[in-house]
Amino acid sequence: MKTKHTVRVAITALASLGLVAGILAPAQAARGTVIVHDTNPHSGFNNAVQGFNLATNATIRYLRFSDFNYYGQNRNLIQNTTLGTYRVTSNKSTDFRYTMTVKPGRLWSDGTPITAEDLLLNHVICSREYAKAAGLGDYDKDKLPGMAFNAACLLSSSYALFNAGEPILSSDKMSITFRFKQRFPDWDLGLPSLSPVHAYVHIANGKTSLQSVAANEAARDEFVKAYTAKDTKLLKAIGDIWSKSYNITTINPATTNPLLWVGNGGFNVVSATPGIGGSVTFKANPRYNSGPAVTGSIDNVVIKYVTDGTPAIQALENGEITMYNGQPTGDGIAALKKLKGVTVLAGRGATYEHINPRVGTIAGQAPYTGVFAGMSTRAIDLRRGFLLCVPRQEIIEKLVHVMNPDIELLNTATVMPNDPRYKAITAANGSKFFTGSQTSLNNRATALVRKHVPDALTKPIKVNMLVPGANQRRADQAQLIKANLRKCGFDVALDTQVSWSPILIDSKYDVVFFGWQSTSTAQSGHRAIFHPSGSNNRTAADGGASLNSMLDRIFGVSLSDKVLQTEFIKIDRKIFEYGFSLPIYQHPSFAAWDSDLKNVKPRDLGPTLVWNYWEWTY
Amino acid sequence: MLAFIARRLGALIVVLFGSSFILYNLAAISGDPIGALRFSDDREAEALIKELEEFLRLDVPPPLRYFIWLRGILGVFTGNVDFGQTRLRGPVSTELFAAIPVTIRLVLIATILSIVIGIALGIISALRQYSRFDYSMTFFAFLLFSLPIFWVAVLLKRYLAITFNNFLEDPYISMRWRITLGLVIGLIFASLFARSRRLFWPIFGALTLGMVGFLTFVNEAGLILNPRLGLVGILFFSLLICVGITFVSTGLSNRPALYSSLTMVPLTIVSYFGIQGQLNASTSIPRLLGFALITSAVAVVVALIFARQDRGPVIRTAVLSALLSANLIVVDKFMRTWKPYMEEDAVNFRPIPTIGQAKELLPQEDFWIVTLDTLIHLFLPTVALMLISFAGYIRYSRGTLLEVLNQDFIRTARAKGLTERTVIMRHAFRNTMIPLATIMVVDFAGIVGGAIITEQVFGWNGMGTLFNRAVSTIDLNLLMGVFSITATLAVLANLVADLLYSALDPRIRVGGGK
Repeated sequence: MKTKHTVRVAITALASLGLVAGILAPAQAARGTVIVHDTNPHSGFNNAVQGFNLATNATIRYLRFSDFNYYGQNRNLIQNTTLGTYRVTSNKSTDFRYTMTVKPGRLWSDGTPITAEDLLLNHVICSREYAKAAGLGDYDKDKLPGMAFNAACLLSSSYALFNAGEPILSSDKMSITFRFKQRFPDWDLGLPSLSPVHAYVHIANGKTSLQSVAANEAARDEFVKAYTAKDTKLLKAIGDIWSKSYNITTINPATTNPLLWVGNGGFNVVSATPGIGGSVTFKANPRYNSGPAVTGSIDNVVIKYVTDGTPAIQALENGEITMYNGQPTGDGIAALKKLKGVTVLAGRGATYEHINPRVGTIAGQAPYTGVFAGMSTRAIDLRRGFLLCVPRQEIIEKLVHVMNPDIELLNTATVMPNDPRYKAITAANGSKFFTGSQTSLNNRATALVRKHVPDALTKPIKVNMLVPGANQRRADQAQLIKANLRKCGFDVALDTQVSWSPILIDSKYDVVFFGWQSTSTAQSGHRAIFHPSGSNNRTAADGGASLNSMLDRIFGVSLSDKVLQTEFIKIDRKIFEYGFSLPIYQHPSFAAWDSDLKNVKPRDLGPTLVWNYWEWTY
Repeated sequence: MLAFIARRLGALIVVLFGSSFILYNLAAISGDPIGALRFSDDREAEALIKELEEFLRLDVPPPLRYFIWLRGILGVFTGNVDFGQTRLRGPVSTELFAAIPVTIRLVLIATILSIVIGIALGIISALRQYSRFDYSMTFFAFLLFSLPIFWVAVLLKRYLAITFNNFLEDPYISMRWRITLGLVIGLIFASLFARSRRLFWPIFGALTLGMVGFLTFVNEAGLILNPRLGLVGILFFSLLICVGITFVSTGLSNRPALYSSLTMVPLTIVSYFGIQGQLNASTSIPRLLGFALITSAVAVVVALIFARQDRGPVIRTAVLSALLSANLIVVDKFMRTWKPYMEEDAVNFRPIPTIGQAKELLPQEDFWIVTLDTLIHLFLPTVALMLISFAGYIRYSRGTLLEVLNQDFIRTARAKGLTERTVIMRHAFRNTMIPLATIMVVDFAGIVGGAIITEQVFGWNGMGTLFNRAVSTIDLNLLMGVFSITATLAVLANLVADLLYSALDPRIRVGGGK
């Protein structure tokens, strides 16, 4: 008994000593891992392949590659002068050219210097003429996989549409000039991107490990030779690698070919596991010099897929993710705000909500003969009366401000509120007609309606509205709209449909409301929405020759910011004048991250959270 | 019998065909597969929509599109089955084969544990019918029955993960907690072991005091950050295991069994020291299985030395004792891995995760760290699944055992003068297992279907998550892939359950036509 006691005391003493030693041991190294949350798992590692253009795939690419420009926090396009420059070198209506120049000394992650030859592959991938001439398959939109490069850009990218002839390399091979048959808008939003062609050549030659710089340059020369000679065999082999090798979700660092993962971005991908609970792991690229200098101390980035809602919020609280990137409900926001050491930012999403009365009939649908049909004064007045009576301010105050109190009324159909041109545009675009106190708006609406339907207040006009289902905010929104419109002589029947998007074009709905998602600052997207032949025109709005020619102009011609602003004002004026559509608000969004991580600046365009990874620091 | 099986298999095909047709069409009309693309201002949206429509064959109406899918599936008869492609452009089969092991890993352990614990508690409950223990078990069973798993998951994450990890920043168990934990442990085990009220309070008191003392020791020795069983711990638990196994398996009066079982205690201690060198970073599962094989062989030899006749039960007891006892060495090794594991940058002293199957950025070459990581990730989902599913087994086994205990043959057995242990374990328990076996078969088939909500909230990419993704993104091929596997297994399990029933219970015949 006594000995046992002694033993126990001894063990206790020893263990306590060990514990003290453990406490006194040097503190752990500084944190260097950022775990970024996402709700949608990746599907592949080359988002330029047909069918792989997911937002998550694009985020992964953003970390792996630096391009010639990127968006800043406020939808401003920034030239990446660290990598090189680009400028228009011929601005004729039949011969449009821009030249891209790589700054000397830029390196791929395997140490190979980057040259303008690394931009050549873009032509191979996106030019139908080149593919045909080089025997890489004739473009047939019904049989895309028949092409050696199964590329999304073949479908409708401006490069594929307007390209004219092969690009011209400068003698020092650091500049390349791309040629087009006409000027086109948003050319700088779709610049060719760099490809590590030497790695593709090595893989095509059966190599399975990184090679020396000399061997890499020889491999690139081999590619340029094949490109010039239109060597079908090698180009097809590269096409195979480009189109198929990246369409995977799992990367096992022990067995994968490192040549596949050569990049010039701040991070190299090292491993990946698929699906919810899966992740992609990146390590800092020690040779990164193709983009803004890294100021922080981040060694590892992990993109981790966690179900939105409580699981993601608790994972953030438990330190399993550093940044939360979901769409929380009201409860979720409250829970996020309660977390200690977490910064919560109520921001703006890339979607804007709007309401559209139907104007005409979409091809293939039953004829629309409802109250809003056509361009008669009566139809226009009724549409405008209806839109005036939509309680926009009430919707925002009651439904949107709980998420983000900074979101205000959206008064243009052409730009978002954080666009630098927003103020100037909304001051002149005719949106004043739709602003004011709701009582005054209601009065004006009633006057317009009674002009054509004198007894509207006693015998309200029946209107059928499609309500997107499975969404509480939209259900509430519909109720507010219905209640206020009763005061202006409309009896709105709400038809809630879970599968609502395909029936937006159905003639049985007089009014539809939903959100447009803005994916870039391209000027040309508006044509699709408001032009009678536009693919996104769900209400058959047709504003006649003057509006249509304006839409054609911004779609087909590259315009300066100033001219574009004037055009946007004119387009907005027509849309509001005809009562085609009324924007309501920009959707709120949420980001939350561990407050220890500094310089996180969420923005509304993708990639929303990681776009300034070079600034992150603990 | 053969006719019965053939008839059932025929019905199976009809059921699968009909249900898959209905499901395919319901899923197809439940949403818009083009969805978000319709609202994108992407200049290429129109082309992308066209491409997607073609890829998903949206030009064919769902009832006919079903047969396109079916043609791929029917390849099963030519050995060339094609589950089609998911919307993310990967083969469905790849996703299925990746998800099935994940789901099995998650649900299998939880199911086995809930069966074992549920049946054990159910039996004890039945043996003490209408006691306070029985009532409290009934109460807990109904309580657990009624808990929604997503809520249980949130609570578990809150208290067992986040709060515990916070606690680890300054791991000192306060006196209040020591007493509370002591009282709880004392209450649970005293209710389990005390056969009469007279015994309850002494056992309760001793256990509570022991627990408080133990926790004080844990505090002082820093065992929370640096846990281990050590020589004393292994000796203690090894003795407990060997005596316990013998008691349940043969009874302590079987001297050869007791002695051979007890021999395993010193053998465990010896191998504890001998084997440490083998338990290094490069240890693998096959090597551990090899050790288990050697251990069993030694146990058999020992049992043969002690037992002269009726060797079967003795060998069984010795092997079980040896394996469980040797397992302590592995447990000890895992406990020793706890500290280096927590010091990993990826873990950063917050070891209990709330999501995922594994941590990124761990040294993949260290067997113990990687395996510990897997086990820790299994911890919360397993507890959650167990909590809600073992209640059913408590009720089933309690009810069945009570019914069996009222049978005439039990009275006969008692009248013969058999010990109570023999009556319960040999005569009553075995007959209790007959209806339970059929439930288990169906339960195991359900395993592959996955736990949709559990996988989702704990971030496991198993069959349940696949199913969820398929439904929410209207990915018909994926949905039907998951469905064909789970539905086939469900129908087959029902068939197996019927056959098993007739095999276990001679009073029942299938397809006898009588």
